Amino acid sequence: MNRKELVVIGAGPAGIEAALTASELGVEVLLVDSFPTAGGQYYKQPPQAFEDHRKKNASQKEGKLLLQMLDSSNVQLLTGCLVWGLFEDHDKGSWVVQLALPDRPMQVKADAVIIATGAYDRPFAFPGWTLPGVMTAGAGQILVKTQGVVPGSKVLLTGTGPLQIALADQLIHAGVTPVAMLEASTISLWDLLRHVPVFLGQFNRMVEGLGYGFDILRSGMQVRMGWAVVEARGDGSVEEAVIARLGPDWKVIAGSEEKVQVDTVILGYGLVPNNRLSRMVECEHEYVAVKGGWVPIRDETLQTTCPNVYVVGDAAGVGGAELAHVEGKIAGLAVASRCGRGKQSDFQWRYAKLRPELLRQRRYAKALGELFTPQPGALSLFRENMTVCRCEEVSYRDILDAIQLGARSVNEVKMITRAGMGNCQGRMCEGLIAQILLNALSVENVDMQRIGASTVRPPLEPMTLDMLARASQMIETEENQLT
Amino acid sequence: MRVHLSSDLKRGKKVQIFVDGETVEAFAGETIAAALLASGIKRFRYTRKKGDPRGIFCGMGVCFECLVTVNGESNVRACLTPVVDGMKIDTKSGWLAHES
Repeated sequence: MNRKELVVIGAGPAGIEAALTASELGVEVLLVDSFPTAGGQYYKQPPQAFEDHRKKNASQKEGKLLLQMLDSSNVQLLTGCLVWGLFEDHDKGSWVVQLALPDRPMQVKADAVIIATGAYDRPFAFPGWTLPGVMTAGAGQILVKTQGVVPGSKVLLTGTGPLQIALADQLIHAGVTPVAMLEASTISLWDLLRHVPVFLGQFNRMVEGLGYGFDILRSGMQVRMGWAVVEARGDGSVEEAVIARLGPDWKVIAGSEEKVQVDTVILGYGLVPNNRLSRMVECEHEYVAVKGGWVPIRDETLQTTCPNVYVVGDAAGVGGAELAHVEGKIAGLAVASRCGRGKQSDFQWRYAKLRPELLRQRRYAKALGELFTPQPGALSLFRENMTVCRCEEVSYRDILDAIQLGARSVNEVKMITRAGMGNCQGRMCEGLIAQILLNALSVENVDMQRIGASTVRPPLEPMTLDMLARASQMIETEENQLT
Repeated sequence: MRVHLSSDLKRGKKVQIFVDGETVEAFAGETIAAALLASGIKRFRYTRKKGDPRGIFCGMGVCFECLVTVNGESNVRACLTPVVDGMKIDTKSGWLAHES
């Protein structure tokens, strides 16, 4: 079996930093990513078949530099490679990573694993949210930024936080000024003022934000605070959106509804940590709303409660690329030190140097989380016949029925209704179901810890039976070679 | 709709794909999702139980909503798969199951 001292899963900012840091100290590193090229969503480049001679902005330059450093490093990079399983090895404390390459299965034994699988857009449901033409801000950004395609001609942005501001700016530059941008949160002057010290520490981000603000003002795009899309309608795809004013807890204010003729609705409700792998190995997690949901519990070296499994970047709590960079470096150092590379005193010194930046970025992430996290009143948008689980087509009514029957956790709802058993394995619906449970069981005084999240099992993503069969054959052959 | 790209970003070479039998123009490097959307196609499939139309949702391979059939292979994520000249794409997946 292939053996590596370190396998890093996910080649975004956090994963690349972790791999480079450990590799520079002499650790044997394998870095894998399911996309065809490294960079993650943050440093996503236009397709290779495109000729790109554009002037790069600061973050694009940074990304290019990081990818060049990766190229010239000793890190072994495998792209287009799905991690479908992560298992503790017979000798405890080391791990077996099961991979599916485009043409064959592969397994690697690792002394340490760093999970850097990032985040994805938080699903936000309302009647009509499954209609073609309703998509996430991440989808919109990829289309505009890397494919040069705008998602529609009459675009309505709805969400909370900075993601949709960046997208609004990109759409304006692409020549399609959105009809309007709706920010669901109502931010008071006090909210802003109490976070001023944190924001002042983020000079580059503030400059970027001011740039967006200027473009938006100049474009004449309408901006409304405390508003959201509450329904999308259309025959086959979006033709009309209903917008409404929300209260501070995001409950719809009855009578405030207005209709808008649009062909595209883009949801920018923040991100959810993608930590299915750390959940699969069952290290301890906790629910932290301002970090985006369930996050692994980690020590100061960013190791989880499973020995030699680390989680860094957005996967451990949404915090953005800057935080991902620092966390990647810290975990890379920690693994190198574990592997006996470098002196312990060097590790302490480098860690101490990174710590102020770590705390600064965490404070910023926390402030954003406090200002822009969806509130429970959003459930007032739901209708009984509305689809909640998009894959298995389970309605809000079906889920309420399951709760009536006695379901008290996301797993129990899943067993009764099949919600979360489809292709996406609950990535889209489990957060919504948890909110439904929390609301329905409020009299029973339950919390997220009790409601839980759905159990994650291999394979992590749908794969062909052919690939699974070949993986099983490979595992058997390699076991026999060992004995 | 394709954005007019500036002279310093050029698309790949022109290719032809066939969507439900119709010829659609696309450019090398584009994903199936981008190519379909650029030609005004928003519905990529119908769901199996209710026959509901679905299209791009997450755009990054997580939600499995943009599944299309490519050269006879079902359940291909349009948002991750680049177009290839002569590719045959079927967006009617799920429809027959719903009808029967």
